[in-house]
Amino acid sequence: MVLPDYRIYEHPILDFKRGRRVKFYYRDKVIEAYEGESILAALYAVGYRVFNRSPKLGLPRGAYCMIGKCSSCLSVVDGVPNTRICVEPVREGIHVEPQEGLADIRRARRQENVETIRVETDLLVVGGGPAGLKAALVAAEHGADVVLVNDHFVLGGQLVKQTHKFFGSRDYFGGTRGFRIAEMLSKKIKEYNNIRVYTNGFAYGYFKGGVVGVAVHGEHPLNLLVKAKTVIAAPGAAEKGLDFEGNYLPGVMGAGGAQTLMNQYGVRPGDKAVVIGSGNVGLIIAYQLLQAGVKVEALAEILPRIGGWFVHAAKIRRLGVKILTRHSIVRAIGTERVEKAVLQAYDEHFHPIPGTEKEFGVDLVLISIGLQPDTKFFAQAGAVMKWVPEAGGLVPIRTWGQETSVENLFVAGDASGIEEATTAFIEGEIAALSALLKLGIGGKEVEERRGKLIDFLWNEYRMAPVVRRAREGKLKVTVSEEEMEKIRIGEYT
Amino acid sequence: MRYDVAVIGAGINGVYTALELLDRGIEKIAIIEKNYPGSGGTFRCATGIRASFTSREHVVLMKRSIEKWKELSNRFGFPFVQGGYVWLLSREEHLRNFKEYVRFHHSLGVPTRIVDPDEIKELVPTIKTDTLVAGVHDPIAGKSNPFTALLNVLEYLKKSGVEVRYPEKAEKIIVENREAKGVLTEKERVEAETILVAAGYGSRDILSTCGVDAPINNLPKHALITEKYREVFKPLLVDWETASYMVQTVSGGFLIGAELEEEYNRPPMNRIEFLYTAVRIWSKYFDWFPSTHIIRYWTGYYVMTPDHHPILGPVKDVESLYVSTGFSGHGFMIAPAASEAVAEWIVRGKPGIREAENLTIDRFKEGRLIHEIAVFG
Ligand SMILES: Cc1cc2nc3c(=O)[nH]c(=O)nc-3n(C[C@H](O)[C@H](O)[C@H](O)COP(=O)(O)OP(=O)(O)OC[C@H]3O[C@@H](n4cnc5c(N)ncnc54)[C@H](O)[C@@H]3O)c2cc1C
Ligand SMILES: Cc1cc2nc3c(=O)[nH]c(=O)nc-3n(C[C@H](O)[C@H](O)[C@H](O)COP(=O)(O)OP(=O)(O)OC[C@H]3O[C@@H](n4cnc5c(N)ncnc54)[C@H](O)[C@@H]3O)c2cc1C
Ligand code: FES
Repeated sequence: MVLPDYRIYEHPILDFKRGRRVKFYYRDKVIEAYEGESILAALYAVGYRVFNRSPKLGLPRGAYCMIGKCSSCLSVVDGVPNTRICVEPVREGIHVEPQEGLADIRRARRQENVETIRVETDLLVVGGGPAGLKAALVAAEHGADVVLVNDHFVLGGQLVKQTHKFFGSRDYFGGTRGFRIAEMLSKKIKEYNNIRVYTNGFAYGYFKGGVVGVAVHGEHPLNLLVKAKTVIAAPGAAEKGLDFEGNYLPGVMGAGGAQTLMNQYGVRPGDKAVVIGSGNVGLIIAYQLLQAGVKVEALAEILPRIGGWFVHAAKIRRLGVKILTRHSIVRAIGTERVEKAVLQAYDEHFHPIPGTEKEFGVDLVLISIGLQPDTKFFAQAGAVMKWVPEAGGLVPIRTWGQETSVENLFVAGDASGIEEATTAFIEGEIAALSALLKLGIGGKEVEERRGKLIDFLWNEYRMAPVVRRAREGKLKVTVSEEEMEKIRIGEYT
Repeated sequence: MRYDVAVIGAGINGVYTALELLDRGIEKIAIIEKNYPGSGGTFRCATGIRASFTSREHVVLMKRSIEKWKELSNRFGFPFVQGGYVWLLSREEHLRNFKEYVRFHHSLGVPTRIVDPDEIKELVPTIKTDTLVAGVHDPIAGKSNPFTALLNVLEYLKKSGVEVRYPEKAEKIIVENREAKGVLTEKERVEAETILVAAGYGSRDILSTCGVDAPINNLPKHALITEKYREVFKPLLVDWETASYMVQTVSGGFLIGAELEEEYNRPPMNRIEFLYTAVRIWSKYFDWFPSTHIIRYWTGYYVMTPDHHPILGPVKDVESLYVSTGFSGHGFMIAPAASEAVAEWIVRGKPGIREAENLTIDRFKEGRLIHEIAVFG
């Protein structure tokens, strides 16, 4: 049987240079893939949509986040169950199986003794998105010894899938396409021999004595114990889900998930889509879907007005996409995957208006209703947190210098509250400068640079009306050193 | 508003005592919780439930508890799985001690039994027994789910008019003429006929505000849980050599506790040695264990008393003040019976179960500590 082919070969912006050919097994089928693809992307490219079934009802589960944050894709890889195949690279000859409900751990292959390596460093950076990369570079520039760990096997975080030219300050790559920024920074990181990089390295915990455990997964698993004088954690964010009938069906996906498939791996996520949410991300996704050859049937927004920028909206309208304000999804229909989506009009009290259902024959429902900071690392470390809706949820309280209530642990980027890449860069830099001060590196020059940057961030950059709300959110969780001391004393309640 | 009873602490004991009071016709009840319900020991616990103890007081109360767990789990629709306990013994001397405990259990009607390695294999599929001399099986022990066990009852209480006030910290117990009159919280003065302190690790502090000295110390404990997997075995396992336990929870995760040296009353911190210790112990028994994923590690307190038995019932020096705390690591399993006893005390002046009368706070001053044939898990 010939498998379908969803790989994109022609694209207006991207030129997919695929790696070496790799063969692996899915059930008993041989799958052809390319080096650098995740297992999930390779399977998706040849038409697989269901990777897992839910434990109780046996419902199908497909790709959702594509960055290892949602557990929708748990599969068995070489006998190891509960493997997130969206962040596991393909390798020659591996055996992959779907997972039906809870895994039978008794059948797991006995894992070899994983080697433990202990390293010491001035600064450990957790997360290689814009915030983490910038932090590592600034610290390394000043001569600090840096270890950078990134869960994904590719550095760059969200940048790797963004094909559009970035808005924001030129000093912070405004006008450059996201994935190019990631390439530039990753290249620069390699130039420093005082930065040790571990991709595929998941920081699993922060322990007494400032030790961070890092599980390096993949072909050569490793337990890396990093004793760091300072730690900057920038683990990013996860996409929010939406509650509606049939939301479990494969084809219902985070907008960022679809973006990963098409822009990072060159795999068309489907044929026809509806997009839910009209923030900039939703608008950009709609445009990128069109570029990838997906028909966008409609874009729904529950509010009376479009959330994102007018220019983005105008662009997709010109290309014939219907934007339905005061609408949302009420139902996805299908058995093994989405076949139809039902949108409905909502009144000013956010109640659906009966009789206004509109049915669309689509195989994709992309949810783009915002992100939620990934703060598990901080919670486990015992950092005092606060619920701030404007920041996307629960975030650690921090000083102006980005230090949390756990001394020498800093936060930067989306994990500190949802904003954008420019502020992630700036926060990463501020955190790095603060860490340098703690390390006693740099002195006055570093202090001045940090002061200027904090001033620029708060009194200039964040004053723009479009980012006001984010500024207000972050103000609620940013405190002075003195206030932080008080929080630390009353820390355990 | 003046309440009949104000309960301080919405852990399993505060909540279950409120239920028992409501069942006895007391209607004006407030539960004051400084954080959120369950946030103390309750949501951190392993939910092990057993009656195989080494003092008469514990055995009698826990046996009653097991009966009540059956009732309550049916009434409120949460799980109680009587999967048993298995102690894993790797030394002859431990086996000798356990033979004595088993005789004691039998004298009080608890059907524990020494089992050989082959029987352990039947009870615990996939376990490797080459380091074991024997095991002990308690077939009537079990496990539950800490979340539904608390929240389902709490929901019912709320519907029945019990006021659950949180987050609201109780700051002082108001006593006038040696009688408790109410609770001063961070928000206001709450008046009540009767005050019950069921504040877990916060009990000593709040009792000290009215001059009652409870000899309680909080001992940091560590626990972890893996992702969920299909059921491998039902019993809760105790590795007697290391005092580490492992249970596959009703939802499927493997929950492990292991001993680390700790100081009393210190804020607990995550320590990497804990992960190493837990993984080392249980990888020895199960080949598949290294392939599991640990998803959470947390700490909590055992609220310890000098004789490792709870403090229940009235306080001699302060009229209308009751205590239910100091469970020394067993406060989940005992909650149904302890709550019943305390509610009976409040309503009828006597705990119902005679053995509970030995557990009042005055025993420490009067030198009537509880005698155990051995200190046991
Ligand atoms: C569709 C879309 C369009 C956007 N457009 C723009 C734009 O035009 N301009 C702009 O400024 N911003 C834009 N953004 C936002 C921007 O991409 C993010 O704000 C930014 O990437 C956040 O950076 P970060 O470093 O905090 O996190 P991320 O970029 O999310 O990086 C986090 C990294 O940490 C790793 N990680 C997570 N947990 C761990 C762990 N425990 N251990 C080790 N590693 C871990 C992850 O693998 C990941 O690589 C856009 C976002 C989206 C989704
Ligand atoms: C890792 C671990 C494993 C355990 N395993 C088991 C087990 O297997 N079986 C078992 O039976 N037990 C076990 N325990 C013990 C068990 O968790 C406790 O004994 C039990 O939860 C105690 O319940 P409680 O209602 O007395 O207290 P808690 O659940 O601690 O509730 C007390 C409540 O009072 C509140 N409070 C405190 N001070 C104030 C104040 N001033 N004002 C208002 N509210 C206040 C707290 O916030 C808390 O919510 C374990 C404990 C730990 C830590
Ligand atoms: S974890 Fe793989 S799709 Fe979300």
